[in-house]
Amino acid sequence: MPHQCTNCDRTFADGSKEMLSGCPDCGGNKFQFRPASASNVTDSGAGSDGGSSGNARVADSAESPSESTNGNASGATGTGRSGVTGAAADAGSAVRDWVRGSSSDSGGTTAQTERRSKSPRAWPGTESESESGTGPESDSGTESESDVQSTPADAGVADATDVDNATEATDASSTTDAATVDRSEPDPSADAEDRAQASARTDVVSPEELSAAAEQSAEEPDADQPGLSELRKELNDQFESIKIVNPGQYELNLMELYDRDEYIISLREDGRYVIEVPDRWNDGDEDE
Amino acid sequence: MGLLNGLKDSVTRVTERLFSASEPKRIGIYGPPNAGKTTLANRIARDWTGDAIGPESHIPHETRRARRKENVDIERNGKTVSIDIVDTPGVTTKVDYKEFLEHDMEKDDAVRRSREATEGVAEAMHWLREDVEGVIYVLDSTEDPFTQVNTMLIGIIESQELPVLILANKIDCEDSNIQRISNAFPQHETIPLSALEGDNMDEVYDKIAEYFA
Repeated sequence: MPHQCTNCDRTFADGSKEMLSGCPDCGGNKFQFRPASASNVTDSGAGSDGGSSGNARVADSAESPSESTNGNASGATGTGRSGVTGAAADAGSAVRDWVRGSSSDSGGTTAQTERRSKSPRAWPGTESESESGTGPESDSGTESESDVQSTPADAGVADATDVDNATEATDASSTTDAATVDRSEPDPSADAEDRAQASARTDVVSPEELSAAAEQSAEEPDADQPGLSELRKELNDQFESIKIVNPGQYELNLMELYDRDEYIISLREDGRYVIEVPDRWNDGDEDE
Repeated sequence: MGLLNGLKDSVTRVTERLFSASEPKRIGIYGPPNAGKTTLANRIARDWTGDAIGPESHIPHETRRARRKENVDIERNGKTVSIDIVDTPGVTTKVDYKEFLEHDMEKDDAVRRSREATEGVAEAMHWLREDVEGVIYVLDSTEDPFTQVNTMLIGIIESQELPVLILANKIDCEDSNIQRISNAFPQHETIPLSALEGDNMDEVYDKIAEYFA
């Protein structure tokens, strides 16, 4: 389901005409596209962004601000450095932690703190925010938080959060929105949030999208989920002539290989391959 | 004038026929891994040109690039049939490096071998589509011929209307079962042989001359 209403989360099939005149359920006219395999880059971007804003708030509501602040700050910069895949994987496990945690944990702050200190990410932080109430956090706390965080972008985010605490309605920082978006997801009471936030929300990745993407990227190696393996099979049936199960383990779709115009001449470990286009075929085969 | 034109026409016709007859057909040797394709290719090439085509091995996927031997002239009953032999990598639907570990291979080598084998299958399939005019399909007669690979490849070959010879190889092995292969592909003639020992190669050459002339 590639399209999703950002307001009520209704999903639409690719190419659906229904959504052209707005969401039939809520009338919303903002949709986000969710490809079957969400790209890692988006994930990591949203993950680390959300993480930093989450961190800012975590410190405010946490019992031991100094401790969690240090942990989070170093975690955040670590994520920034570790590159795209690391961040995505990190976000992936974070989301899974969070999903698992939120079902069992009904407002226990200790559990949250624990999760938070172990995983400096957006969702735990924002969840804590929702549970501690959307009430005004101490600005000074946020401020000091932003100082600790080393990334300039992060500091900016924290500042924005700081300012926005006073006037949340005019909240324009997308990262802060990321925080508020999550709040609305598990907590129905938060639906009363203002339109400005709702519309600004289109800029950020929804928690579902992130969790879906994270699950996908995280489950890729073991594929023990029937739904996922089914999906993969379907995709393979559609696209793949050579499937790399693991390094050194391949499954081949002979019919697809036979039907292709282009000719695969070399495989790379990372799943790329080099092909020879048909019109050059006759020059290339003389070397062996 | 008319006489001259007629003469020209007939000269052209003769030269055309001459060239088309002398152009060797490209015959692909296909089959699953370890069926004895390279052993057969080497035997044919050695018998008629003196050279071999490529290394043989009991480890599957020894041939990972298609190898060609051009202008192999096979003489049968006073006539010469000229063919280009293409020895292709064994075709399979699954390649797993673990299979090679059993043959005392290091993991890195095994992984590389399986990658090359996979590329080889892609190459073999491409040759089948683009470049061969006849197929020698080699099967290990000690193995069950009812496999997805065999069914699919024979199906493709039939759909292309390529002339195909089915060879039941390894008849020197005790558990060889030629009947099982001829039962599997009753629409084609099955010729038993041992490429390794050179058993029944005369009949193989007879059939090559008959099918690919």
